[in-house]
Amino acid sequence: MRILVLNWRDLTHPASGGAEVYTEQVLRRWVQAGHEVTLFAAAVAGRPADETIDGYRVVRAGNRFTVYREARRWWERHGRGRYDVVVDETNTVPFLAHEWVDDGARTIALVHQTCEEIWHVNAPPLLAHLGRYRLEPNWLRRLGRGPILAVSESTRDALARFGAHDVTVVPEGYEPPAVLPAVLKAEQPTAVFCGRMVSYKRPYDVMRAVELARRELPGLRLRMIGGGPLLERLRAGAPDGVDFLGRVPEQVKLDEMARAHVHLATSVREGWGLVVTEAAAVGTPTIAYDVPGLRDSTRAAGGVVVPPHPEAMARWLCELMPSRFAGPFPALPHGGAHSWDDVAATVLDAVTEKARAPHTDIRRDHENQLRGAHV
Amino acid sequence: MRISFVVPTYNSARTLDACLASLRGQTHPDVEVLVVDNGSTDSTPVIAARHADQVLQWGPERSAQRNRGTACSTGDVVVYIDSDMVLEPHIAGQIEAEFTANPETGALVIPERSFGEGFLARCRELEKRLYVGDDAVESPRAFRRRVIELLGGWNERLTAAEDWDLADRTRGVTRIGRIAAYIWHDEGRIQLRSTFAKKRYYGRWIDEYVRMHADTSGRKFARTALFRKPGSLLRHPALTAGLATLKMTEAAGLMLGIRDSRVAAR
Repeated sequence: MRILVLNWRDLTHPASGGAEVYTEQVLRRWVQAGHEVTLFAAAVAGRPADETIDGYRVVRAGNRFTVYREARRWWERHGRGRYDVVVDETNTVPFLAHEWVDDGARTIALVHQTCEEIWHVNAPPLLAHLGRYRLEPNWLRRLGRGPILAVSESTRDALARFGAHDVTVVPEGYEPPAVLPAVLKAEQPTAVFCGRMVSYKRPYDVMRAVELARRELPGLRLRMIGGGPLLERLRAGAPDGVDFLGRVPEQVKLDEMARAHVHLATSVREGWGLVVTEAAAVGTPTIAYDVPGLRDSTRAAGGVVVPPHPEAMARWLCELMPSRFAGPFPALPHGGAHSWDDVAATVLDAVTEKARAPHTDIRRDHENQLRGAHV
Repeated sequence: MRISFVVPTYNSARTLDACLASLRGQTHPDVEVLVVDNGSTDSTPVIAARHADQVLQWGPERSAQRNRGTACSTGDVVVYIDSDMVLEPHIAGQIEAEFTANPETGALVIPERSFGEGFLARCRELEKRLYVGDDAVESPRAFRRRVIELLGGWNERLTAAEDWDLADRTRGVTRIGRIAAYIWHDEGRIQLRSTFAKKRYYGRWIDEYVRMHADTSGRKFARTALFRKPGSLLRHPALTAGLATLKMTEAAGLMLGIRDSRVAAR
């Protein structure tokens, strides 16, 4: 099969994240399985506009705002008639391939997470309102006219709220480290937080929860792993028992996670919450806020979700720490997620089964809409 | 001691999964979960089937659903939980400990906290915090089986204030104790318009309740607990203002509801 994947970034982009790892792992395996794969992404300084990585072709053009237009332009000049399937990987802004692919190729969207509340964290107030209540609902409604793959139940629920009816859940992938850290649990009760120190991860909530829990568990310690813009401010206001490690090498991170008795996660929302999976893979259970994404990964990893409130997290921490979480917690093979081989095969099956050639009506509707808007 | 949780539901898909997962996550080893649905049209029955030991269909209102749950349950203790509540993991354990330590106690109050999205939810959080320990507002949720059977269960003539009615009748026959662990009440995103509509609906049963319990009802509506800790209110002036708005909206709804029932009775 000849597959074109549209994603705003590729793995070489300095700001690439979980979605890019997912894409890379899956595409590599599709190539190994004999498919012809092209990834279209935004330009990266110092990287060629067209190169081959791990057997798949990467084409780069545009920046984070223009990549969507560039993708369409590139497809019209070089892509039309050359692909069987177009995968529209959506990170908040969709490429809406099903509105402009018109050569009979089939299309399908792949959504890791919806943005919603995160608008308020990442954008200034007015733009955030515009984005959350106008732009994103409009994009998702249009995206929902075609088939969609979602990476968690939570994302499927969110898409359903915006009217998507053909949504298939595909698994999240995780490859555990080749050698599990050979460290013992810490002597003192220890909690670990791992993530960038940015407001949507709510590191303040974790610190507050531990501060409250220390009234009942005086020896409790919290290890905060990760860099980010809030790091210095958090460090300055840290209560007793909280240590900041900053950004650390991968091996140190795994050791720290393995040494802790419990991992805490408090994000506003995640697509899946891979950090929970990582913790489970090294034998550390998670207490997480009951929010989309974290809910999925935490349940899959045998952890516990709590109401999104620092006092609630503190209460659960006090109760579960001594009994349930103090003993040995078996390291889950893939931390509750799936192996990448599994994921690549499942996604390919889902694409094969669910992708469909866009209905000409949708395009006509859209063109009429555009025409209406210009009049 | 087996603890049976009875959860009445009606289109409760938003909150039910968290609720039932918290019941399943109790540290106490012998827990039974019964969901009594009343013809939900959303995914409530699917979510219920994932967690519950029994999923029943019954109506027409919450009291009848709870009584049906009591009849079908097998526990030594029956606990009535709403579908928008999340329980701390040690509640069932504390219930057993409390009932074992105090044989003369027949029912237990479980204190409540609330959480939700947005400003009004934070106002409500403040309100709930002020009520903790006020027996004019708090009602028992956990009953020994023989006590709830002796009382004849929930009053099916009441759809609102049925918890106060049961609390009053319980006080007549047994001692009411309390545990320390909290129930977390998911308020979601509170909207004044829907709060008003809900209170107006509940208001229809207030006259009926007052007729039954003329002696104690005044204290319940006065909500003196709100003013007992003025420090908490003064410390959060914005929340206090929001709370005042919320309570006035509720009061207006209730009064209109009472009027509705009187007009209908005429």
